[in-house]
Amino acid sequence: MKDFLIIGAGITGAFIARELAKYDVDTVVIEKESDVGNHATLANSALVHSGHDPEANTLKAKLCVEGNAMYPDLAETLEFPLLKSGGLLLAGDDERKALMDKYRNALDNNVPSVRWFERAALLEREPGLASRVAAGLDLPTTMVTFPWEVAIAAMENAIDNGVAFHKNTEVTRIDQESEGFAVHTDRGVFRAEYVINAAGAFAERIAAMAEEEPPFRITPRRGEYMVLDRRNEGLIKHALYPVPSEKGKGVLITPQTHGEILLGPTNTAQESLEAVPTTKQGMERIKTGAGSLLEKIPYEETIRTFAGVRASSSHEDFYIQPSKADERFIHVGGIDSPGLTAAPAIAAYVVDTFIRPRRPLDSNPHFNPKRKTKPLYKTLDDVDKNARFKADGRYGRIICKCERITEGDVVDHIGRTLGATSVKGVKKRARAGSGLCQGGYCEGEIIKVLAREHGTSPLDIDYYEQGTPIFLKETKVKP
Amino acid sequence: MKHFDIAVIGGGAGGLAAAEKADRLGMDVVLLEREPFLGGILNQCIHHGFGLHHYKEELTGPEYAMRAIDDIERSGVTIKTDTTALDYKKLGGRFTIRYTNAEEGERTIEANAVILTSGSYERTAGGIRLPGERPKGVHTAGKAQRYLNIEGYMVGRKVFILGSGDIGLIMARRLTLEGAEVKGVAEIKPHPGGLTRNVVQCLHDFDIPLYLSHTVTDVRGDENLEGITIAEVDDAMQVKEATEKHFEVDTLLLSVGLIPDIATLGDVHYAIDPRTNGAIVDQTYQTTQDGLFAAGNALHIHDLVDFVTEESLRAALQAAAYVKGEVPPREKQVDVVTGETISYALPQRLNGDYLDKSVTFSLRSRHAYEKGTFLIKQRGETIERFKRRFINPAEMEHLVVEGGRIARGSGVEIILEGSS
Amino acid sequence: MKKELICIVCPVGCHLTVDEALNVSGNRCKRGIPYAKKEMTNPERQITSTVRIHSEVFNRLSVKTSAPIPKAKRFDIMRALDEIDLTPPVETGDVIIENVAGTDADIVASRRIEK
Repeated sequence: MKDFLIIGAGITGAFIARELAKYDVDTVVIEKESDVGNHATLANSALVHSGHDPEANTLKAKLCVEGNAMYPDLAETLEFPLLKSGGLLLAGDDERKALMDKYRNALDNNVPSVRWFERAALLEREPGLASRVAAGLDLPTTMVTFPWEVAIAAMENAIDNGVAFHKNTEVTRIDQESEGFAVHTDRGVFRAEYVINAAGAFAERIAAMAEEEPPFRITPRRGEYMVLDRRNEGLIKHALYPVPSEKGKGVLITPQTHGEILLGPTNTAQESLEAVPTTKQGMERIKTGAGSLLEKIPYEETIRTFAGVRASSSHEDFYIQPSKADERFIHVGGIDSPGLTAAPAIAAYVVDTFIRPRRPLDSNPHFNPKRKTKPLYKTLDDVDKNARFKADGRYGRIICKCERITEGDVVDHIGRTLGATSVKGVKKRARAGSGLCQGGYCEGEIIKVLAREHGTSPLDIDYYEQGTPIFLKETKVKP
Repeated sequence: MKHFDIAVIGGGAGGLAAAEKADRLGMDVVLLEREPFLGGILNQCIHHGFGLHHYKEELTGPEYAMRAIDDIERSGVTIKTDTTALDYKKLGGRFTIRYTNAEEGERTIEANAVILTSGSYERTAGGIRLPGERPKGVHTAGKAQRYLNIEGYMVGRKVFILGSGDIGLIMARRLTLEGAEVKGVAEIKPHPGGLTRNVVQCLHDFDIPLYLSHTVTDVRGDENLEGITIAEVDDAMQVKEATEKHFEVDTLLLSVGLIPDIATLGDVHYAIDPRTNGAIVDQTYQTTQDGLFAAGNALHIHDLVDFVTEESLRAALQAAAYVKGEVPPREKQVDVVTGETISYALPQRLNGDYLDKSVTFSLRSRHAYEKGTFLIKQRGETIERFKRRFINPAEMEHLVVEGGRIARGSGVEIILEGSS
Repeated sequence: MKKELICIVCPVGCHLTVDEALNVSGNRCKRGIPYAKKEMTNPERQITSTVRIHSEVFNRLSVKTSAPIPKAKRFDIMRALDEIDLTPPVETGDVIIENVAGTDADIVASRRIEK
């Protein structure tokens, strides 16, 4: 019997797990996918928003501004990348009224240091802006992070502080019992006093297992993106936002923590909770949107396109409430934008508002908030490089030449607390395969290293999810 | 710091030829190769069709590589395999090159000249903005070829191939022989990208359909690839309505082009030609950075390895001349421009004070012609003409202009007058 | 019954038609005729493939047929290759299988693998 069971290890579930790890309680996280941060956390704008956008007096506004303020400390404590880029919200002459509305909204939301800029002041900061841009808001607290690394960091820190984690484990049924809940999965039954539904796009499905009428509906929205390769580092310094219109929040242009430029998202309603196709029309829409912000964009240097599903809900706001059937079952649903920004604040809000008043929590005297990472070899100075190389020659051997990732780095990222088990798991953690050739050269080497480190055959190494091996069979095997 | 006359980056066909040639010309040469073996992509091109120009006999890729490897092993070239070049700096007219490997760690060497023969990488799904889902099972064809021919693994059982370049065609045959079902090859252009011989012997021989003027419009599958859709495109490459065909496949191979692999070279800057994605060079294969030479697929994409070898030999000859101080400084540049029927030509510039030596132009036509004449012009006057039969965009043409023909004073224009 | 094929003797790629009496049409030069006749009566191909090898660097050794083999024997030869399991060293040209699948051709190594 556990004290707390969290369903879902996206950014929200990971931060709730870490929040609970601060207390002397038994927590388990179950995740149906093969890795942390596999859906919305994997495919989004990577932005830590200032909080200018959500409507005033909503949870989104409150938790976004609070979460934003938490990120700089978290980035140091958990050692994840954070680019303090600042943001500019840009408007054409015909959009001045909408810009003024957003300015007032930002002030209502207590967004720090917001300023109104005319074109000349904007050009001083971003000389390449499109000619139609007339005015804008300076949003200096806007930042860019590396979303799935944040989720992995929070979950690793939770695990290091005693939280149990089960991946590849899918919930099939939830029974209410006198002491709490029996959560049935394809890998056995877990019992816990409290259950937290942080299942992202699948939160409605989980809610329906706990109460007859789910209190919210997930209305998935797909956002498509385009990535320009790292040669474009410096094209822009700030995250560039258009003024939102009736059609949506529009296409952003964002400098990424590793030097790429991200363009997107589009915004398309769809039925599927997980289908993430990109489309030709989507790419055209991105070009139209991005072109209204920035004059020249080298689309021919696209290295990747992708799409993500936002777990929007029938509620405009985040739906964070205990179940009407049993207050020990807490829904954390409808976590769409600004979910990444708000996640650490959501975690504190859930625990402080819905758990501590009902169930006393003692602090965990052994809680260590810090996550220690092993920096990539290429980031070390010569002395540290030499020491590491002397201990292990594999730091001298480059596996991913585009990103300069050594075999030693890959081995480190397989061996860490939430180590990589798949090709994409290595890519998410060490960035091997994220560069120009997109794994064309290093994928085979990574499969070999994964197989060796996990003591298995290359035939058993998955691309990502279970049952997705790159190598289907060996040649020249006697029938 | 160890000093060399010339550092050659990449030990495939180009690097092997360049390094061995420079060694024979008395240069002290180092060759850096990131793989544990020499020969580059030739090692995975186990099919026939190599060597007819250069060795005057038909060889497989590995056999071609073995000849060049035998030559280099008899030479005085310092060879470092399993070694990755990390970055380049230039100080006082010399290059410093940082490399790394598991034996030495990071080291720096110095060289008077560098020859880039680092080959190419494959254009990816992201590079062509392939629509649809991103399940496991979409691979570049060359990567799958390596897995098949060197590692001994199949990536699929039911396969579709996008792109009818030679790698795509060759893989259709190889996968079929190994027991896979290749359901078709789609080519966005109205004509095949690869050689007719490969269309016949790789597709017709196995009854594999070739869909010309078709492209992939959808990729389906959640975790594993389940199927793809192709559709016909019009002259403007726009998808025609109601022409979709669906295929259930577990693998989609992309054979959609190669790109010179030089973007990761770092701190030494030089101008790039957007038509080739490789460096802009003069008739010595010198980039706009003095002492930095490029050849083979690192410079522009070749269809025949023989031409890679021969271009690299020419580059090595000039690099050695540069080191010996025999190439005059580039004070007077002569620009080379091309007519609109030519997609690109190399060199893009000429050193005006080195025109007493012959110049080899490498170029591609934009269209196919049964007959055509290439004209080299200066000040509107034809100074050289070359007649050719069966001009094809897939086949690189070479025009050699003898020394003394091109004058120092004005730009050179290359024109192709073709007829069908 | 007529059969259509594309001539691959030169880059022109003539579309040939051959009838039952082996009359060839569509050829723009005379070299198309023997090509078409050979393709109709006894088509031959070179096979290149790999065999298993236990090397430090390569999992497979590239091999080829020493001479063209009847096209119909392609898959018999592929099956014969599945039986091979080698240990280095192997030299370019080493015979791996003699007289493979009853053809007069051998399977030979197309590269050297020292260890």
